[in-house]
Amino acid sequence: MPVRRKSRKALRILSIETSCDETSVALLETSVARGSISAVKLLHHETATQIPIHRRFGGVVPEVAARTHVAELVSLLERAGIFGKGKSKFDAIAVTKGPGLATALRVGVEAARTLSFATGKPLVGVNHLEGHLASAWLMPQNRKAWKFPILALLVSGGHTELVLMQDYCRYKVLGRTRDDASGEAFDKTAKLLGLPYPGGPELSRLAAKGKADAFKLPRPMLDDPSLDFSFSGLKTAVRVLVESKFKIHDSKFTAALPDLCASIQGAIVDVLVEKTIRAAKLSKPKCIIMVGGVSANASLQEKMAQRVKQDLRGVKLLAPPKGFYTDNAAMVAAAGLWRLRQGKVDQWKKLDAEPELDI
Amino acid sequence: MRSVKFQPGKKISRLSVPTTDGWKPGAENVLSQLKPGSILAVQGDLGAGKTTFIQALAKELGIKRFVPSPTFSLMRSYKVSPAVNGIKRLIHVDAYRLKNARELMVLDLDEELSDGGSVLVLEWPEKVEAWLAARMKQTVKLSIE
Repeated sequence: MPVRRKSRKALRILSIETSCDETSVALLETSVARGSISAVKLLHHETATQIPIHRRFGGVVPEVAARTHVAELVSLLERAGIFGKGKSKFDAIAVTKGPGLATALRVGVEAARTLSFATGKPLVGVNHLEGHLASAWLMPQNRKAWKFPILALLVSGGHTELVLMQDYCRYKVLGRTRDDASGEAFDKTAKLLGLPYPGGPELSRLAAKGKADAFKLPRPMLDDPSLDFSFSGLKTAVRVLVESKFKIHDSKFTAALPDLCASIQGAIVDVLVEKTIRAAKLSKPKCIIMVGGVSANASLQEKMAQRVKQDLRGVKLLAPPKGFYTDNAAMVAAAGLWRLRQGKVDQWKKLDAEPELDI
Repeated sequence: MRSVKFQPGKKISRLSVPTTDGWKPGAENVLSQLKPGSILAVQGDLGAGKTTFIQALAKELGIKRFVPSPTFSLMRSYKVSPAVNGIKRLIHVDAYRLKNARELMVLDLDEELSDGGSVLVLEWPEKVEAWLAARMKQTVKLSIE
């Protein structure tokens, strides 16, 4: 496969992401000069968020997700302009192969396999989590600071992991959640407070007006020497607190809601920050990246920046470009590019969705 | 203290559990009632202790991996080796995000359960009651209050 081009040749990667809520397509162009990447340009990027549909159903419904992915993916690919006649619009295809919902993943994987078969272009199956790690690399100034080892805190609705990136495509999980993901902790404690789905963002919004030390909540696993997380017990603590002190929706509860939200957010953020700092002291990274939907949380960003500055001299804290925290195809293209440059190409005949894929 | 109610078939038994680390006897009791093809429906509110109970059950089955919440992924499975009472695999499903039984169909759980060595642990069974009602014979109910 003609992956390596002559000097200063542009390489275009078409990427597809359908692992859960979002259907997303991107076209990423990189210029490779003398073997190294000299420029990265996002030519096209479009995400059809499925949240309005799911809000009606109160969650991500796999069957609905798969059906809307099919319709949306075809239209997104068309809008990316890849079906025109004449010279081919892309040089390789990257697709999320897992982890995620099997039915949703398969829509993207089948489309990518078909495109690879029809065009003969190389195909790269990408781990969704690696995609999130690559999201921070999409930022031009981050690429300048990009020096391994890099410590990544990946926080989303389905994931909470501390990953040490030793090089491109060489990762080690240092810690992960033993039960609920941090995004899930936000959403479920929000539910306990009677906030509508998805409650996480609403909880953070209310928390901005409250005091984080108003209610005492446990910081799970902080005393544990491991770098793992646990957020399940926080639900129980919030439940007990609410049941013992309030009646949901009475005036006393409504008045205390911002303080409750701030206290919950404080408990989650404290644990995420503390474990990241601890991991950094052990693994001595050159940079720390914070990626995934929960990393958009303002309080987490602020506290992490503060602690990194205070405790880790010379370590840079990097974030993805705004709008690339949640699932998107641009990050899949970036991770696909990393793999492609390492010669990690998949055969269209063999690539399959891997719903339980780990990093 | 938490109260756990078991309902294997017609008989009901109760067990009181201290909030931390007291799930072992309950897990042992439940495990003795499961065999390949069984469904364990675990009911309980957010924060009631379902996760902790299921982790204790996984421990009884000799599973060393973490058993994180399948709310987001809907389904996770774990190899049981060596087999316990003929059980070779634990399938953990969470119906929290599902609206009705029809949506469970995409997980193809009947197929998953028909391999002769799997048990299914189902959280939020009340969301998929119709599906469970058709499989009552193989179901053990458990509620945590």
